[in-house]
Amino acid sequence: MNRYQFLWKKIAWALFTILFVVVLNFFLFRILPGDPVRSGTRDPRLKKDAQEALRIRFGLDKPVIPCFETLNPIKPGDCAVNPFETQFFLYLRNLTQGELGYSFHTNRPVADVLGERLWNTILLIGAGQLLSIVIGVLFGMFAAWKARTSIDYGALITGLVAWSLPTFWLGIILLFWGSNNGFPIGGKATPGISSFPFLYQAGDVFKHMILPTITYTIVYMGEYLLVMRSSLLDVLAEDYILTAKAKGLTTFQILKDHALKNAMLPIVTIIAINLGFTVAGAIQIESVYSWPGLGGAVYEALERRDYPVLQGVFLLIAVSVVLANLIADLTYSFLDPRVQAD
Amino acid sequence: MKTKYNFLVVVTLLALIVSACGTAGPTTPVVLRVGWGGSPDTLNPGTGVLTEAYTIFALVYDTLYEFQLDGTYKLDVADSVNVADDGLTYTFKIHDGIKFHDGQPMTAKDVAFSLNLYKNNTDFIYLNAYTANFDTIEAPDDSTVVIKMLNAVPNIDYLLSYLYIVPEHIWKDYAEAPASTEFENLQTIGTGPFKMLEYSPNEFVRLGANKDHFANPPKIDEAIFQTFESDDVLVQSLKSGAVDMITEMPATAVESLKGDKTISVVTGAPFAPAVSDVIFNQIDPENCPTDVGGVCTGHPALRDRNVRLALSQATDKQKLIDIVLLGFGAPGLTLIPDGLGKWYNNSLQDYKYDAAEANRILDDAGYLDTNSDGVREIPDGSRPLTFRMHWPSDSIDGPRMAELLSEMWGEVGVTLELQAIDPDALTAECCPAFDYDIILWGWGSDPDPNLLLSVYATSEIPNGYNETGYSNPAYDELYLQQGVELDPEKRKDLVWQMQEIVFNDVVYVIPYYEETIQAYRTDRFTGWITDTPKVELSDVSSLIVVEPVK
Repeated sequence: MNRYQFLWKKIAWALFTILFVVVLNFFLFRILPGDPVRSGTRDPRLKKDAQEALRIRFGLDKPVIPCFETLNPIKPGDCAVNPFETQFFLYLRNLTQGELGYSFHTNRPVADVLGERLWNTILLIGAGQLLSIVIGVLFGMFAAWKARTSIDYGALITGLVAWSLPTFWLGIILLFWGSNNGFPIGGKATPGISSFPFLYQAGDVFKHMILPTITYTIVYMGEYLLVMRSSLLDVLAEDYILTAKAKGLTTFQILKDHALKNAMLPIVTIIAINLGFTVAGAIQIESVYSWPGLGGAVYEALERRDYPVLQGVFLLIAVSVVLANLIADLTYSFLDPRVQAD
Repeated sequence: MKTKYNFLVVVTLLALIVSACGTAGPTTPVVLRVGWGGSPDTLNPGTGVLTEAYTIFALVYDTLYEFQLDGTYKLDVADSVNVADDGLTYTFKIHDGIKFHDGQPMTAKDVAFSLNLYKNNTDFIYLNAYTANFDTIEAPDDSTVVIKMLNAVPNIDYLLSYLYIVPEHIWKDYAEAPASTEFENLQTIGTGPFKMLEYSPNEFVRLGANKDHFANPPKIDEAIFQTFESDDVLVQSLKSGAVDMITEMPATAVESLKGDKTISVVTGAPFAPAVSDVIFNQIDPENCPTDVGGVCTGHPALRDRNVRLALSQATDKQKLIDIVLLGFGAPGLTLIPDGLGKWYNNSLQDYKYDAAEANRILDDAGYLDTNSDGVREIPDGSRPLTFRMHWPSDSIDGPRMAELLSEMWGEVGVTLELQAIDPDALTAECCPAFDYDIILWGWGSDPDPNLLLSVYATSEIPNGYNETGYSNPAYDELYLQQGVELDPEKRKDLVWQMQEIVFNDVVYVIPYYEETIQAYRTDRFTGWITDTPKVELSDVSSLIVVEPVK
């Protein structure tokens, strides 16, 4: 298989996966029990005609697909209905026009809701990822290099402990510590400073990012450290490393020219998967620090059966995970040409 | 471990540098910072659902009547009201010289426009319902509003206290659906004591004082409501001084704040009544609303008053309050809580907690343990007194309450199958499906008793709001009467009678009426209103009078 065939195959699969998610997304939420009109407003003030008006506003008065009015409970309907008058096809049509619909809960366009949140999440999780990758990989390398010394054991234990810490617990502990030491503990910025100079605002956001970023970094750094260490140790045990040593190369040369490229393979996978999930946010960290990110949006939308927001978020996550995996595959084939041949 | 420590030091240093650079910001006005657990779902009064939205509306908008924390209403933008003898026509004289936040004058035309807006938009979730009895609303001149009713009602003040006056010059482009519901109303122009400065969903709402308010100009310059997603963080923010007041906090934190001289905790009846209820499925199969999905699978024993009475007497409410609420609640009688003031029938004597008496009632009624397995059977012996007990999975108190009830009712030979259920699935099985035995849930509501009284009415069975399936023609009759009784004293008598009926029929076990717990820093602002029957520090009454500690 040549490089282009490989590339096309991967891209075709990625597209197929996204299409599958688009369809699944729709039905997943329709088979959940619960009525978006009544959830969150279990209240006698919501009279029958108001419920009906809401149903029409949300487009829930239309059948889900031909032959089925609703899927939970299953209610058979007219099969001769114009398919373009069903919720499913309206959803597909809107999607092809880049229209994600309006949130049932806030009546705002889903794209707006997700847009704000997406940047907050990328800011926080991006910083956390970057730091944890750099720190984790470096320390992992260092530990493998100094294998079976106290440095190695120290790094190993630190990595294991950090990785197994419950995120919300670490978050709360850091939050109390930070709160007593003058760090802001909630939100993305101090409210009411929008008229202040840009630098002041940026500094304020930076201050708010410190605690959540540290929390995120500590937990994820452990993962990278452990994987990097064991992967590099495996490679260092290979015969060709022994040969390299026998040729009289320095440790640095061995690491740089012979070991690292091979040892990076598992790390690339993890980085790709984690980066893909970056947009999903980190629900625990976001909720501990009241960070207005996508994780919180998912949680709220689920609570209120806000289908359009849920569909939007899930689509966003699916696309970014698929993309990240595609990039990982391609990087893989570059790092290790054997991958293509399979 | 050393590396982690160094990392923290570096970040801390960076933070200090940044904060040092930033302290040269402009001088700030007097800002009150409020911490709360939510965020308004929208700024459009027509589509608002969450309490937080209504808190903001109450500060930004004025109304014809204002509800006060002592449970009474007073005229707000109107100087006087004239009621026709038949109770069908109200004529309001609007106060002169009121201005919207954008400087435009507010006249009777805006009032009439607003009320018509709520009346004409049937998909306005809550506010439309308050206009159900309005026939026409007109403004013959700039200072007169005339409301003609379809039926005379006893509670016009209550109905009007949520109908916020919005500017016609802005809303006229959004008067009809779908524009009326899609309008985000981000500027939220009103006439209220506060005006909208900035709204960042799920982060904060920043309000500025309307110093030109005709009646209630606030003493502070700004009030910022900041969202914290966890209760513990709210408390911590108050302790650290990041906020000056918090509108909610867990009962578990009260003890830890007691020693803190700079923090004052206030408790009392909440602004909106909070009732917890144990719902018994007692629907008569004849009333089963099969056309709207009713399946009515409830345990037949729960239709017997004796069983419900026995369960009520087997319930140690004080223990529930002490354990579940850490004491911050009062034993409940019916769905009408003590927080509703004069509407609450305080003459009723609650069934005494007495497990022996409960056992006797069940014995006498023929519910005996015929097969000696520790669980009673129904009189014909065909079915044990084993009930499914469900509660919403997002309830914090549900699991504890269920465990305690299971223990208490076990003493009288009743077993429970406990299960937490997704709130939506619970709504689906609850009503009008009646596919359950017992549910632990609750209500929050309006200051007027009408809404909670409707939950017992037969007419609400098919709508799914009558959650027990209880049906009593005598009650239904009184319910209709209280809805048209114009004399407040007579209406009160009717409402009290209704409570007596449902109390005697043991429709529910009401474990408690939960108190609201709020706290503020004593070293920042002073003047908080805390001695009213209802406690709400974020109510307009407090926010217009608080001022910085000198």
